[in-house]
This record gives sequence, structure tokens and C-alpha cells, in this order.
Amino acid sequence: MLEIAGVEGGYGSVQILNGVSMRVARGQMVALLGGNGTGKSTLLKTISGLIKPWKGSITFDGQRIDGLRPDLIVRRGLVQVTQGKEAYPGLTVEENLRLGAHVRRDRAGVRRTLERVFEYFPILGDRRNQFSATLSGGQLQMLCIGRGMMSEPKMMLLDEPSAALAPQVVLDIFRIIGRICREGTTLLLVEQNVRMALLLAEYGYVIRDGVVHIEGPAEKLIGDDNVRLSYLGGTVADRDGGKNLRH
Amino acid sequence: MQYFMDLVVVGFSIGMVYALVALGISFIYSGLDIVHFAHGEIYMLGAFIGVALFKHTGLSYPMLLIASMVLTGLLGVAIERLFYRRLTRAGGGYTFAGMGMIICGFGMSIVLQNVAYLIWGAKPLPFPVSFGMPLEIGELTLPRSYIWIVGAALILMAALHLFLKKTRLGLAARAVAHNKEIAYLMGINVPMMISVLFGIGCALAAAAGVLVGPINYVQVLMGIGILIKAFAAAVIGGFGNLPGAVLGGLLVGVTESLGAGYLSGSYKDIYAFILLIFVLMVRPSGILGVSIKSKA
Repeated sequence: MLEIAGVEGGYGSVQILNGVSMRVARGQMVALLGGNGTGKSTLLKTISGLIKPWKGSITFDGQRIDGLRPDLIVRRGLVQVTQGKEAYPGLTVEENLRLGAHVRRDRAGVRRTLERVFEYFPILGDRRNQFSATLSGGQLQMLCIGRGMMSEPKMMLLDEPSAALAPQVVLDIFRIIGRICREGTTLLLVEQNVRMALLLAEYGYVIRDGVVHIEGPAEKLIGDDNVRLSYLGGTVADRDGGKNLRH
Repeated sequence: MQYFMDLVVVGFSIGMVYALVALGISFIYSGLDIVHFAHGEIYMLGAFIGVALFKHTGLSYPMLLIASMVLTGLLGVAIERLFYRRLTRAGGGYTFAGMGMIICGFGMSIVLQNVAYLIWGAKPLPFPVSFGMPLEIGELTLPRSYIWIVGAALILMAALHLFLKKTRLGLAARAVAHNKEIAYLMGINVPMMISVLFGIGCALAAAAGVLVGPINYVQVLMGIGILIKAFAAAVIGGFGNLPGAVLGGLLVGVTESLGAGYLSGSYKDIYAFILLIFVLMVRPSGILGVSIKSKA
């Protein structure tokens, strides 16, 4: 579905991605893990077209999409779900959701998808005419996921859906994400919450210093010492002479 | 009382003209973060295009108005694409790009004045649309040109409101105004929407030019005075706030008219700024403005 090959890129003259390669198969949920400043967000922006890659190729659904304008990438069915704080505060819940369906012209279909989103997230239906500025953090995250669903994409890129949320809310959100994947949408889940992401996803990539550092099936990664040491909060220095502390 | 009402009617009509220009300036600012200093010249070009169409085609006045709005809007789109977009892009997107954009706006205003001078000359042109006899309502005598101004301006404002609140494209426009990157992720063609927004702002100014033409002469320097007053109006209402721009325009128009009528006509241009200073002393963010930058 999505294939990234040797992508290099960054902002201005600052190189952040140093040759990232990864792939996501159709219907799969893949986790993209890594700490702050490792290049996760840059990679996301590069996939969704907000920044152009310098080198390498990105193929989606059999066609090259690197260098394409972001709105054209959305039209092909690849949508980035932003973090909750990126909902438009001055627009109502329903307006935010309708924005997600901007690329669609079939009014009846949009209304059906809207009802489907309200079925996933009943709280959004209750608050459809409120400004999204009045929502809580968890509700904002739901709004952004719902907004991503509105165009009925083939694949969604989820940008840290658990960021800054209470544990109970995180569980709710992840349950929904699992359901979205089961119902046929391919997902790339970018997360800092490594344990949760690996419990849910089938395959994982750990990115560091702008390259894929470790990759493997999720159940393997969750038992992997390097992953545990780096991201699951172990103390590292004692294991391997501090090799993993380089950055 | 009769005299007072006359002054209010005149002020209200002129205020509608200020309001349309201020609305365009505020609209462009809220959508593109461009403070457009050549907007007075867009208004002037709109009026000239209206006169030219009047002379060379047999279009009725409403059609003239629409045709001039479309042509001037397209001209604005071309100007933005060719000149402003390079600057805003160089400044790192459509954030407040600093002095470069402001200087470019002033430069554009001089260029457009001279272009108009080369085409139409320095002599003020009449815009002799005939509206028929003034309307008499009781004691009040209303010249029909004023009714046209108020009516057309209200229709345009209502149309803009409906566009922004009720249509798919209007929703996209509000999204682009608020955050261009997220708008892109919604699948909105952001460069195209920026052109649309700028074009609408210019079309509003053109409408003001065509509406004011018949009660004034059309001339190359007509944009300078209105730019300053429209800015005052936009700031009085709250810069970037669309209802505020309309309110500010009407306040400026009525204040100016009453001042000229009761105090002194030779200081006509001062009253708008006295009002501006007063409003800024009491509410620095404008009447409808909020202290956080609010957007359409």
C-alpha cells in the first residue's frame, strides 16, 4: 500500500531524514516509533506532501506520490490525522468534520459518513454544533480521527493520537483505532506510547537519527531489549556501555 | 431634524463604500496575513473599469457592477500570483512577512496609479449613470444613487456571509484563513483558495469603486484617501474582523458626514481619525476585535 524507499529530506538546509525505507501492506496497522527529535514528524510531513523529499521515492497504491501537492495526495486516499490540538477551534464540531470531507462531492455519502463518525464517537454527535474550542483533549483527538475518516481514505497516518491524554482516554482511542483498521483502513500509527502501539500494531519501525533503527513484527519488538531499553523506560547505560544513549 | 437625517443618509451611504473597501482589506488580512496597501488602487481600477464598460458596452448598471467586480477580481488574482506570492513564500509561508510585503504593497499602489494614468489620463472622468428622480419618503429626499450604494453593498455583504457560512468552498476558505498547513491536510487546494480569497477582497473594492463613481468623479488618485479611511474603519471595527469592518466603515462615514455638516466641511477628513484615536484609547483592539488575533 505504502512504500518508502531511501527517503532523505528536512527543512531548508537541515537534513533530518537520512534515508528512511519502510513499507505498509494493505489492511495492516504498522507502528512508527521513536523519541522526540528523531524525525517521525518530518517523515509524516514528507509522506503527506507538506515538505518535499530531497531523495528517494514514496509509492502509494502503486503510484509515486513524492513531490505531489498535499491536497492531491489526500485525493488519492492517503490522509494524515492530526493531533487533537490541530482541530480548528473557531469552527464547530460538524464544520471540522465536514472539512475532512472537502474532497468529496457526494452530499448524501458525506452525510452517511458523518453519521458513521457519530456512531464511532457519540460524544461528537452530542456536541456537533459546539465550537471545537470547548472540547476536552480526548474529544479533540476523537474529532481529528473522525475528521480523517470523513474522506473515507484507503490509508490513514495517525500522528501521536495518545499525546497528552489520560490513560483511560488513551484506551478508548486505541480501541477505536483498532476498529478502524479491522474495518478495512490501512494505518500507520506514529506513537511515543510504544507499549500500546506495539500491542495494537502488527509490525513496527523504530526510527532514530532519521533512519530506521530497528524493525520487526510487533510481538518481537516488544520483547526486544534495545526497544525496551530505549523507549520503555529502562535504564540503559548498564546494559551495553551506553551505546543506546548516543543521542 | 431634516438636516440631521440628510447628513446621516449621506454618511451612511458613503460609510457603505468605506465598509466595502475595509471589508476587502480585513478579508485579505484575515485570510492571507497580507496587509494590502494597494487596495485603494484596486478600488480605483474597479471604478475605471466600470466607466470603460459603461462607455463601450451597453451593460445595465447591475451588470456593470458585476462585470467590473469579476474583471478587477481577476486582475487582483494576477497581481497576487505574480508579485505578492513570491514575497509571502520567501517569508516562510503566509505568516506576517514583515516589511517586505508592506513595501511591495506601497510600490504596487504607485505602479497601478501610473498604469491607470497611462491608460485613462489625469483628467477626472464622469460616470454618468442615470438613476432617475430622487425618491421621496415623507420629508426625506433620497437620491437613487444612495439607494443603489446601500442596497448593493448589503447584498454583497449578505452574499459573502452566506458563502463563508453555508458553502463547502466557504468552509475551506475559513480553514485556509486559520491554518494553511492543516487546510492542506484536509485536501484543500490551498494555493487556489488563496487566489480565491484575494480575488474576493479585490472584487469588493471594485464594487465600492463602481458604486461611488456616479456620485463622484473617477480619477487616478481616488484610491489614496479611501485607503486611509478604510484602514481607519477596519481598525475601528477590529482588524481582521469582518462584521467589525462594516461597522467601522459605517461609523467613519456617519461621523465624517455629521462633522462636515455641523462643524466644518473643510476639516472633513479629520473626523474619521478623531474617531479612530478615540476608539483606540477606549478599546485598543477595536470595537469587535478581541485581544487575541481573531480570524474569519
